[in-house]
Amino acid sequence: MSDDNLIIYEEEINQIESLISKMLKGCEAKCALLVDKDGHLTTRQGFTHSLDTTALAALMAGSFASTKEIARLVGETEFSVLFHQGKKDHIHMSLVGERSILVVIFDDRTTIGMVRLYAKETAIELAKVFDKIKKDSESGPKPGISTDFATMAQDKLDDIFQD
Amino acid sequence: MVSINYSSREVCCKIVYYGPGLSGKTTNLQYIHSKVPQTTRGNLISLATEADRTLYFDFLPINIGNINGLAAKFQLYTVPGQVYYNATRKLVLRGVDGLVFVADSQPDKMAENIESLTNLEENLREYGYNIDELPMVIQYNKRDLPGIMTVEELEARLNPRGWPYFEASATIGNGVFDTLKLIIKIVLDKAKSSSGSRPRPAAIAQPVASQPTTAPQATPVAATQPSSGDSAPSSVAVSAPPAAASKPQETPEQYRPFPGSHAEEHHERKPSAAGFTPAATVDSSSAPIERNAIQSAGTGNGEDEDTSRPVMAPSLKRRGSYKKRGFFKRLFGIK
Repeated sequence: MSDDNLIIYEEEINQIESLISKMLKGCEAKCALLVDKDGHLTTRQGFTHSLDTTALAALMAGSFASTKEIARLVGETEFSVLFHQGKKDHIHMSLVGERSILVVIFDDRTTIGMVRLYAKETAIELAKVFDKIKKDSESGPKPGISTDFATMAQDKLDDIFQD
Repeated sequence: MVSINYSSREVCCKIVYYGPGLSGKTTNLQYIHSKVPQTTRGNLISLATEADRTLYFDFLPINIGNINGLAAKFQLYTVPGQVYYNATRKLVLRGVDGLVFVADSQPDKMAENIESLTNLEENLREYGYNIDELPMVIQYNKRDLPGIMTVEELEARLNPRGWPYFEASATIGNGVFDTLKLIIKIVLDKAKSSSGSRPRPAAIAQPVASQPTTAPQATPVAATQPSSGDSAPSSVAVSAPPAAASKPQETPEQYRPFPGSHAEEHHERKPSAAGFTPAATVDSSSAPIERNAIQSAGTGNGEDEDTSRPVMAPSLKRRGSYKKRGFFKRLFGIK
């Protein structure tokens, strides 16, 4: 198991969310997700109620990972921006720092240029926040899950997973 | 990497089902998907070929609900088993917290089992993980078929490290939940012990539910040295037997009872994870941070507007000022 556990606190997530919602207002996109490269959803903003964001996060992380391999095969380190164009909705994905992906879903009310501009600007700001999270977690105490978490999970699992 | 989000109060773990082609990894997930209540699971996503062979991965999110103030979420993935999909198989392993190796019990599949296990070890090594450090459970699948190998033979060939194992028939569901429950238990135990291995103020060791959601950075840092390799081996100390152990298990006798002593033995056998640091750990601080295009343009040009705040439709006057500074060049990424 990797040791670099990602622990995000309320203060930081508020900062991240305000940056993303500012971006959404600016570029008039429908919604945005911040996804960990491992496929975990960090946060979401905008009209995401009709979306299965958990699955989206996993698939987008997978898509980004496979694109990275493609990049490697053609001699690039990584493609930092991905764009999927649909009939009505489009998706813009960009790299944030080293471990996150900013996904913006938008329609024809705005343009790819605007989304790209604002996403780039936001990605830089977000990278700074993640940098701070990383530094704090390196120097500060590392709270983990409580000791009886596994035991309590056990009881729940027995209830849920019944043949 | 166990992801803990204190804002949304979530713990997220990634569990990967690994194994040779057609050993029953996807069937495991399909069975879990069909039996678990809809409130607990999300949709099963399968990236498969037209012949229903996994092309990239299958994905099933499970949320077992609120435990001690944190929502426990598990993401179950399978990998494509076929040999030539190694590139995509490796990608799924990124950030894995626990592994289930699904082995085929048929004698003619033994070579594939061994090849897949070796391949798993190689792929993990490329990410800087050590197979001995990761929580792992072996599932000997297809036990309902005739002419299969005995568990002793399978153990001798595939399990020299003594991982906990289960016999299973994924199509009818035998052993599927037992495997899942054990791997979840080991992952959570490991997350607890790896976080407990670091020096930290006692206050942090309190149950999470009793803590406010405010950032604990305010807590004075008692010891700032990074996780040292010489941490006490007691960091992998075995937890007290869970209360659920007293619960009668309805598993047939040939399956190891869960939660059984085996998991504890498994932990004791393992070397301490305290000094483990993946070689591939990325250092985001080394990433160069570019200056914001708009902000740098706005700096020092006498305008009193907050240029860091995005504006959708600038006025004509502003458009003119943007034009002067190459706004459209930046908009379309022209250098």
